[in-house]
Amino acid sequence: MSAPTPRLPSAAAATAHQRQWFADLHRDHTPGDPLALVNADAPQEVFRAMGIPYVVNQWWASIVAAKRRTQDHLARLRERGYPDYTEQYSSTALGSAFDTDPDSAPWGGLPTPSLVLAETTGDASRKIFDVWGAQPGVTFYPLESAAADTVPERWWELMPHRWEEAVGTDRLDLMVGELEGLIRFLEATTGRRFSEQRFTEVMALVNEQEEWNRRTRDLIAAARPCPIAVTDSIPAVMIPQWHRGTVWARDAARRLHDEVADRVRAGAAVCPDERVRLMWVGRGLWFDLDFYRRFQDRYGAVFVWSMYLAIAADGYIRHVDPDSGDPLRALAARFAAFSDQLYTPPWSAEWYVKEARTHGVHGVVHLVSDDARGSWATTRALRAAGVPVLELHADNVDARRSDPEHLDGTVGRWLEAEVLPRTDG
Amino acid sequence: MSAALAALLDPARTTADGPVAGYVGADVPVELLTAAGYHPVRLSGSPHEDASDGIGYLGGGLDPAACSVLTRLLHGGYGPLDVLVVSRDCEASLRLFYVLRELARVEPAVALPPLHLIDVLHLPHRTTTRYVRAKVRGLRGWLQQRCGHTVSGDELAAAVAAHDRVRGLLRAVGELRGQRRLTGTEALGVVAATTRLPVHRAEELLTALVAELPGRDPRPGHPVYLTGSSHDCPDVYTALEDAGLLIVGEDHDRGDLLSTMDVGVPAGAADVDALDLAVAERYQHNGPSAPRAAIAERAAHTAAALRGRGAAGLLSYVREHDDGPPWDFPAQRDAAGVPAAIVERQAYGLIDPSELDRALSALGVPAVVA
Ligand code: SF4
Ligand code: SF4
Repeated sequence: MSAPTPRLPSAAAATAHQRQWFADLHRDHTPGDPLALVNADAPQEVFRAMGIPYVVNQWWASIVAAKRRTQDHLARLRERGYPDYTEQYSSTALGSAFDTDPDSAPWGGLPTPSLVLAETTGDASRKIFDVWGAQPGVTFYPLESAAADTVPERWWELMPHRWEEAVGTDRLDLMVGELEGLIRFLEATTGRRFSEQRFTEVMALVNEQEEWNRRTRDLIAAARPCPIAVTDSIPAVMIPQWHRGTVWARDAARRLHDEVADRVRAGAAVCPDERVRLMWVGRGLWFDLDFYRRFQDRYGAVFVWSMYLAIAADGYIRHVDPDSGDPLRALAARFAAFSDQLYTPPWSAEWYVKEARTHGVHGVVHLVSDDARGSWATTRALRAAGVPVLELHADNVDARRSDPEHLDGTVGRWLEAEVLPRTDG
Repeated sequence: MSAALAALLDPARTTADGPVAGYVGADVPVELLTAAGYHPVRLSGSPHEDASDGIGYLGGGLDPAACSVLTRLLHGGYGPLDVLVVSRDCEASLRLFYVLRELARVEPAVALPPLHLIDVLHLPHRTTTRYVRAKVRGLRGWLQQRCGHTVSGDELAAAVAAHDRVRGLLRAVGELRGQRRLTGTEALGVVAATTRLPVHRAEELLTALVAELPGRDPRPGHPVYLTGSSHDCPDVYTALEDAGLLIVGEDHDRGDLLSTMDVGVPAGAADVDALDLAVAERYQHNGPSAPRAAIAERAAHTAAALRGRGAAGLLSYVREHDDGPPWDFPAQRDAAGVPAAIVERQAYGLIDPSELDRALSALGVPAVVA
């Protein structure tokens, strides 16, 4: 038995930074000052450029879940007549708005935002934000979310430069119009200025950050054994992602890259007896992060992949032609089809297959929650490519339905029956 | 029963009139299908048929009505369809489209008609209108390619006018519901008939119906307004009306909401571009539907429509995995000014008897012992 690899310093640093940032936000925020609550896939770069602080809705849900407070947050919705059974990942933060005891809340509680921003996806998600918008002092700014009749399959090759072709002109025209409206609205209601120069810097920093993530992803794909745990790569990627457009975030992505490169050079391993390389498809299991380690001792099975690093590598980079390009259109291209990359076939399905191949995985554990999108196509495409897939039916924040013993038993039986026979000998 | 009503409620009377365009969702501009020479037929599911094939593709977390439509499509349950147009009136329709598109890509052995998505969006902004207009043009171009002829301004104007006349007649039927001349179950059947009959046949029958109904005796029952999920089959309406209710109106798109707005032929029309824009604005602004509209807009609409029909109660019936309506209900209840009740997470085509009893007592209706 070898000792497990120590926590990755950049993961620890990112977590510490997030704590400090949130404490500073609490200290500096005066109720009524501009503060946004935004969805993870919203165009945060506009707020960054204008100096308007924002909290990411799904990040907050993950904090609440990690503190095992999701249930009492959902109960507050129920008490007000709202459902506690739809899109819990998006509605958890709304439970914080109805907190009657903020002192006991995780991390000192969520300060009340002045603005909530979300795309009108799904049937319930815009309603969750309607309820936010009905709270005193809160404005809801909805953004359209458009869908394409046809899309090119290998989007990840087009996105960095040929995003117009990948996303489509109609969708981009719409999203640029939406962003111009948002900027004018923010200028008028916050008194902050939108500087095109500052915005160009922000967009350049984001591209640099995601380019570092891309190199990191490529290193991990090629490395045998796997040099870092997904539970380290998730915070080391995602926390900088929420701070994207800052020098700190760009440098954090570079630091992660350098640490991974060092580990690869040193032959460091999450599990030196690595026998099975696994891919985790779906959102993180926030209530049970230990899950990802539990198959190492018994099976030498390591989760080498989660979408968080991979989508940073492939899903964000949007270069702007320095002579003719419009950085606002590039930002529109970043988020107009963001969730399609992960959830809409053929984009999602073909991408997971590509990632499974480049990472040399032996199997995929696919988290299928009630609101999962495109899961049939993802599982089908992976299986058609010869990769065993276990569909795990659970909810990533609602632990009521995700008992660890059940999860472990299911994964263990699948490893023994389908994956190990293909790797031994 | 009036002869026109009997004819409308008899599904056997539906015979295809030329090539058939199946469509999913109330956001498909049917006037384009008619103008291109297709007979538009709206696809419905059935709670009485096994839908496991559709659930296998769409997943267990999606509206069972969409799973049923997919299953029927896979099994040829709609007969031959020459084209299939899917709108994005709700998340389930969009996901149905994605599954169909993927099946066409990876399983060519599955026989599916040529498929097109019409992405009508609903925010009340100019940017949205421009996008929807582009999508309407795109659908017209795609239909023209398939049917092999260019839709003229006159053809499109005639189709718009015909469908507008049907909408006007449906609103007249709605007024008659306010006077209790037909049950909710009958009204649901009438609306359904107009989405599968050729438009001229629908117009004839509705014209006769509107002439015949004022002479009919008022229907009995405790008058309620129904909100929540859309109903593609009459089972739940029948159960509610058998329990002593009379559904005098509803805000879903297989009922009153289908016909709240007309397209209107623009002055001096026959210009296809002007008609595209008129169609785009109508479909952008029609509603407010549960999956797409804001809570406040829904509450205001529901309260006004409820008063317009003289309903004495508001009932929200929500099917399992229909995520929008339960978020609407608290504001609808507050705006309604009459007793209100909600039954949530109901199985497709069913209402749980004890939930029904609870709702009836909340609405002040004595429970009927079966
Ligand atoms: S199995 Fe893997 S994790 Fe467990 S001790 Fe051996 S090398 Fe370390
Ligand atoms: S109402 Fe029920 S029985 Fe009649 S067609 Fe629809 S599903 Fe079948």
